[in-house]
Amino acid sequence: MNSIGGPPLFFLEFGDIMIYFSPYTVALFLLALVFTVLAIVSRPENQVEILFGTDAYYGKEIDVPEMRFRRFMSIACGLACMGAMVTGDLFDFTLFVSLVGICNVGIVAAVKTKHVQNAAFQYGIVALTATVPLFGGAAIAAATTGTLSMIALGSGLAGPAPFITRAALVLGVMGEGMAPFYAAKAEMFRAPGAPYVIMCSFSSLLIFLRVVEVVLTI
Amino acid sequence: MIIGRISRFLSDFDNLMPVFAGACALLFAIGILLLPLPYSESQLYPKRIDRTSSLDPYDRGGPPFTQANISMQYPENSPTAGYVTTYLTPFSWWLSTTTPHLGTTIVAHPGGILDEILYNTRGLDTVVEPTILFIAFAIGSYLFRKGI
Amino acid sequence: MWNAYSIGMAAVLATGVIAFAALALERDDLHRLLLIDLVEIPSLGIIALLGTDLAEALVLPGLVVGIAELLALSHIYLLKEGLRDRPEGYLHIEVVEIGHAPAIIASLLVVYGIILSGFTGGGIAGLGVVFFFMAKGHREDFALLEAAAGISWGIWVASFFVFMFLPEYWYLAVMGAAVGILLKVTAKMSLVGTMWGKPHE
Repeated sequence: MNSIGGPPLFFLEFGDIMIYFSPYTVALFLLALVFTVLAIVSRPENQVEILFGTDAYYGKEIDVPEMRFRRFMSIACGLACMGAMVTGDLFDFTLFVSLVGICNVGIVAAVKTKHVQNAAFQYGIVALTATVPLFGGAAIAAATTGTLSMIALGSGLAGPAPFITRAALVLGVMGEGMAPFYAAKAEMFRAPGAPYVIMCSFSSLLIFLRVVEVVLTI
Repeated sequence: MIIGRISRFLSDFDNLMPVFAGACALLFAIGILLLPLPYSESQLYPKRIDRTSSLDPYDRGGPPFTQANISMQYPENSPTAGYVTTYLTPFSWWLSTTTPHLGTTIVAHPGGILDEILYNTRGLDTVVEPTILFIAFAIGSYLFRKGI
Repeated sequence: MWNAYSIGMAAVLATGVIAFAALALERDDLHRLLLIDLVEIPSLGIIALLGTDLAEALVLPGLVVGIAELLALSHIYLLKEGLRDRPEGYLHIEVVEIGHAPAIIASLLVVYGIILSGFTGGGIAGLGVVFFFMAKGHREDFALLEAAAGISWGIWVASFFVFMFLPEYWYLAVMGAAVGILLKVTAKMSLVGTMWGKPHE
């Protein structure tokens, strides 16, 4: 096995889908785990707006169901991230990345402000489009090499995946990981309940880090 | 100068979608230029078609939960791989005995090797897939219930 | 070197270029949403070109992901555009509204669906429930349906893990998966049936 991320320490078998923990994937997995735990335990922050030049201020109401929904979405996003970090199968990886994408849509879409909804919609379309190069790339790898397992592809038994697969995977992950653009643009970081939005940026960062390893391995 | 213009263009998130779709179109065009691609002859789960079966071309049945002769990635991980749930509904069983063309209605009866791949050897895929469906439904029903 | 796979690939990639070019040029949000569906087709085509049983198993998740995200996106679109006045609920057929026919037909479908079990059964039972809601304009508990969808998802995933780790209990897992998917499909289809009507808590 090609040891870009270090030699695999431990395998977990799900039939044809082999999950492997190498030093690199373990590090990413632990990061995802820590942030998921933070999303579970953290409490949404209260936002206070101050009118400039006066002593007046008002606190923004936090809608409890909205916070619960967004917390649910960020936990799901964290779990999806953990899966994407350690999976050893190309198609499974693309599915986990798609799950990260739809969770990010959910985190953004729960905010009931018009411009945020607009951002969520535009991002959702990009996320849905990005599944095309992702699935396409994995399927091309399967057709040309006869396997979907990253371990078999990395060992050189099945030969390296064609260039188009790598390019498609990177482009797909770029599409799914575009959430921070939208979140930042829609001023989501100033919206009430900021901690959950961090999950958007964080999951995007993690899937980028992982796809580098995948592309160099296969 | 030019960077400023690019950054102004990208700062409007309505423009990100066309940029991404254009990149995808470019990738697919490059894909056409890189053809032909080799097709590996040693595929996993090759398709066998039995033209004489009344379920042709979707006769995918077989013995469940025994080590059947399936070419998979890691046979040692699935010692009980067979053909998981090969069943016909009573109605489609009746159809299969009366007409030779039931196999063209694939939606009527999943099962056999397809279920084996979906449920067992590549089960994690199928776990992730309903999760995506579940999350999407959660978003849809949450937005539907709350409105603005 | 131009094998059948490469020829098919050239056709699919060409459709992909056309679909993506259309998406890149489109400015209207609703049309973008519709074009997304067009773009999904080349991806299914690339998977189908594998031509093995594995391809069929990979097409299913690909299709489901597309449909699921489309559902979420169309709700976001409705909310974003502020389209509130959906068409009023149900079928205006006098016989159906007053008589017992919907209940009888629906219960027949549900019973047959439970006998069939699994995915097909879930579809049929769900169809019965959808028909009932559409005919009666019933006010049912929406949150309960969501909870049922969640629980059935749990049963389904749990039986998958039994399949993978404890294959000797496969019969239990088959039954669990069958019940889970029955509940799942039924609940999802009734959710869609409910969305037909007016929004309520």
